Amino acid sequence: MKLAVVGKGGVGKTTTAAVLARTLARGGTKVVALDCDTNPNLGISLGIGDDETERLIGLRQSLDDGDQQHAPSWDSLVDVFGSDAPDGVRLAVVSAIEKPEPGCPCCGLSPEQLLRTVAFDQRTVIADFEAGTGTLTRLEEGAVDVVVLVVVPTAKSVEVARRAAELVAEKRLGRLVILGNQVRDDVDRALITDAFSEADVVCVPHDERIAEADRQGLAPLDLAPDAEGVRAIATLAGRLTAPA
Amino acid sequence: MRVAFVGKGGAGKSAIAGVVARLLARQGEDVLAVDSDPLPGLSISLGLGVVDAAIPSDAVEEKAEGEPGPRFRLRQGLTAFDALRDYALPAPDGVRFLQFGKTRASGAPLMRSQWAFRQILDGLPPETPTIIGDLPGGTRQPFFGWAGYADTVVVVTPPTSAGLLSARRLAKLAATDAAPNRIVAVISQARDDGDTERVRRRTGLDVVGSVPWDEHVLAAEREGRSVLDAAPDAPAVTAIVTLTERLAARQTTPVLAELQGGGR
Repeated sequence: MKLAVVGKGGVGKTTTAAVLARTLARGGTKVVALDCDTNPNLGISLGIGDDETERLIGLRQSLDDGDQQHAPSWDSLVDVFGSDAPDGVRLAVVSAIEKPEPGCPCCGLSPEQLLRTVAFDQRTVIADFEAGTGTLTRLEEGAVDVVVLVVVPTAKSVEVARRAAELVAEKRLGRLVILGNQVRDDVDRALITDAFSEADVVCVPHDERIAEADRQGLAPLDLAPDAEGVRAIATLAGRLTAPA
Repeated sequence: MRVAFVGKGGAGKSAIAGVVARLLARQGEDVLAVDSDPLPGLSISLGLGVVDAAIPSDAVEEKAEGEPGPRFRLRQGLTAFDALRDYALPAPDGVRFLQFGKTRASGAPLMRSQWAFRQILDGLPPETPTIIGDLPGGTRQPFFGWAGYADTVVVVTPPTSAGLLSARRLAKLAATDAAPNRIVAVISQARDDGDTERVRRRTGLDVVGSVPWDEHVLAAEREGRSVLDAAPDAPAVTAIVTLTERLAARQTTPVLAELQGGGR
């Protein structure tokens, strides 16, 4: 199964992707977490720390600068540009680089092409997309099975999510789940459910402990495994892998 | 003054840029707010709501084969000032707002509008109008191409690990790719006094503003309004007033030598 996490910047895509990935891995699923963002931060939320996250960014940068050996095959991307994260999740940074070599296994395919063409050994793939709708405009039908669209109760985020939902529907990109994040009260909840009244909406309560994990650069699952917000995302993991 | 705001998605670029633009306009400056993000943001923060309108594609014409220069240029007889008069939208406090347009699932391609946007900005004289620009979130390398007007790059960062990691990269990219006169940091959603030192240390930039975490901003964002209208006395607004004064004071803050010389 391949699952994409999308939404406006700063809404909690990366936190969501990290909690989903580690929760599924704890349940015995083999999980590859793909950081598709040119500004890759997924490592921090998975719990590998600032330094290792920055090292992985540096590897992609070195590729652009011509100082890094290219990976010899599509699947070896995950070995060369990746890191082991807690609970057995394998993280790989596959963000597009500025000067890709056409046909090269590690940089010639954009993240959206990788998702369409590479099987990743049948592991479950959690792809953390770049903020905005750019990747969705280039994604093709069949590349992913599920799109988790993260939206917070602000006018801007809802507007971006509306546009993203249009793309998912028009291009038949997969099962759409709206994750209403940082919901504080009924007004917040209504803002999201009213905007997506036809869709499958899951609300995650605002949780200061997730904000604290972000400040400290720790995985929410490590700092506050019992936090309400973390538990809500973890519950979603089970639902997503069950048949629709 | 010509400022470009950059930062991780959700850092608060638009919210801060929108207030800075309006405060400068209230002081009598001729302010052009420009948005080079294909998704809506700055228009909402200025108080205009969601605006999709693109610069019409006939604002530019394609050069003839063999002719030198860029592929598209403003159509014959249309100056940058004419284009502002025709295509910039009036925003509160006398700010004018220019964007190339917004993308939709089945919308028209924006290529010609984007060319027009660039040609307009390139065609303006060095000092007038004041430009406050909002760039897309993230660290995509080529995006400084959209900030050729900027004499100042403001890196907006919340005091989170991910925000700071992005800010570090942006500080280096701005120094190499945009090469403005100054690059400075502004903290958004600041929680405590220790944040300033943390941001200074991690980014190597001078911190010229610290906008506190503020419920009023959250409430304004929920309603899609500017915090300047929704809660003019909010602590966040007070902090942006101070920031605007510092930016307008035009002290040239040197970028750390290591960033200038250290490549990306």
